Amino acid sequence: MERKNFLKTFAIMAAAGPLIIDGCKKDGVTKSTTSTTGTTTSTTSTNGSTCIVSPTETEGPFPYPGGKANNPLKRTDVTDSQTGVPLAITFLVVNVNDNCNVVTNARVDIWHCNKDGYYSGYANQPGILGTQTYVGKTWLRGYQVSDATGLANFSTIYPGWYTGRATHIHFEVYVNNVLKKTSQLTFSETISDAVHQSSLYAAHGINTTRNASDSVFGDSATDLANETMSLAGNIADGYTGSFTIGIAI
Amino acid sequence: MSKAKIRLVYKQVIDASSESGFEKALFQASYQEFLLKSQAYNRYGKLKTFSSIKANDGRANSLHYKLGFSVGHFIAQLNNKMPVIKDNIGNKISFEAANFELIESHIDDISLHKIAVNYETGALILVELMGEYMLLAPDNLPNSEPLETFVLRMQPDLSIITYEEISQLEIGLN
Repeated sequence: MERKNFLKTFAIMAAAGPLIIDGCKKDGVTKSTTSTTGTTTSTTSTNGSTCIVSPTETEGPFPYPGGKANNPLKRTDVTDSQTGVPLAITFLVVNVNDNCNVVTNARVDIWHCNKDGYYSGYANQPGILGTQTYVGKTWLRGYQVSDATGLANFSTIYPGWYTGRATHIHFEVYVNNVLKKTSQLTFSETISDAVHQSSLYAAHGINTTRNASDSVFGDSATDLANETMSLAGNIADGYTGSFTIGIAI
Repeated sequence: MSKAKIRLVYKQVIDASSESGFEKALFQASYQEFLLKSQAYNRYGKLKTFSSIKANDGRANSLHYKLGFSVGHFIAQLNNKMPVIKDNIGNKISFEAANFELIESHIDDISLHKIAVNYETGALILVELMGEYMLLAPDNLPNSEPLETFVLRMQPDLSIITYEEISQLEIGLN
């Protein structure tokens, strides 16, 4: 059972429980019911009183070790020890089918490469540091759920780059566990070039794949404009940016 | 016999019948993630099983690593010690890497969800084979006698994935 439904069902059962028991006391008849998982419960009458065998349900959802109820990847700060120029992103999720009103409780996932152009989780990646394997690592990955104002915030670092792709961040949006958008965003090349020449990124230098010639962003100038996140800030202090994700619900 | 430098892998298969808390946690977390992440390759839920999704769109092979993120935190709790198998005196076997594998799943039926974690050891010296038992030594010990060894029985879901023949003189030099 999906966690939210489990909790919802639990809440309903908790609220309904006393009523069911009261009902049994009043009519005093033997009943049997079947739970949603097919586990039969039965009622036993002894000396005029009535009780029921509690329904059996799945043991889940399982809390994470340490008592955390949520996936550790649900986090604002996805930096996870990776160095780079700080980047704070605010996503605003809106519904294009509802006068651009905000969408709450949308899950926004992001992931991107580190300053050297490598992703966490992959094995045998070629790149500036040679072939690297980062299986078991989760840096620069995470998700947030949009709040009551439709916002989802992340703290990360400015992405580096790898051969063949413009500088980018991946994102996905789920609403009620349904995938509503898979896309990528990029940045002003003026800023990317400056960042990629700064001390932490300088070994790799400027991205050789420009946005307009990128296999993803380069196929539509209009899309590129809509996929470019505007930024404020500087290399010393880091950058902040906001990006509106329009989805059709 | 010839000495060899080897790496072992142990495959822990987890499905609806698995009983430990660790296995159940991985089972549940990876299934929830499968329901989310498989949608990128299966819009509108047209296909039901991972194998059919993969056959229709090869990019779905990325679900192996994508789902791995949902269970990485659980695996980290193992502190690089394999669950299930132990050496002949009950010590857990250390692993260097754990690779998540989605064997099969079904978007409407969690009971058909089946996964595996492949635990890969670091380099080991295979000193001797004694029937089904391997006399092993870590490959990071100083070059001194006697060699610190342990004995591990070859068993189902355990395999040697790399093999490099070495002379006795080389043992302990690395």
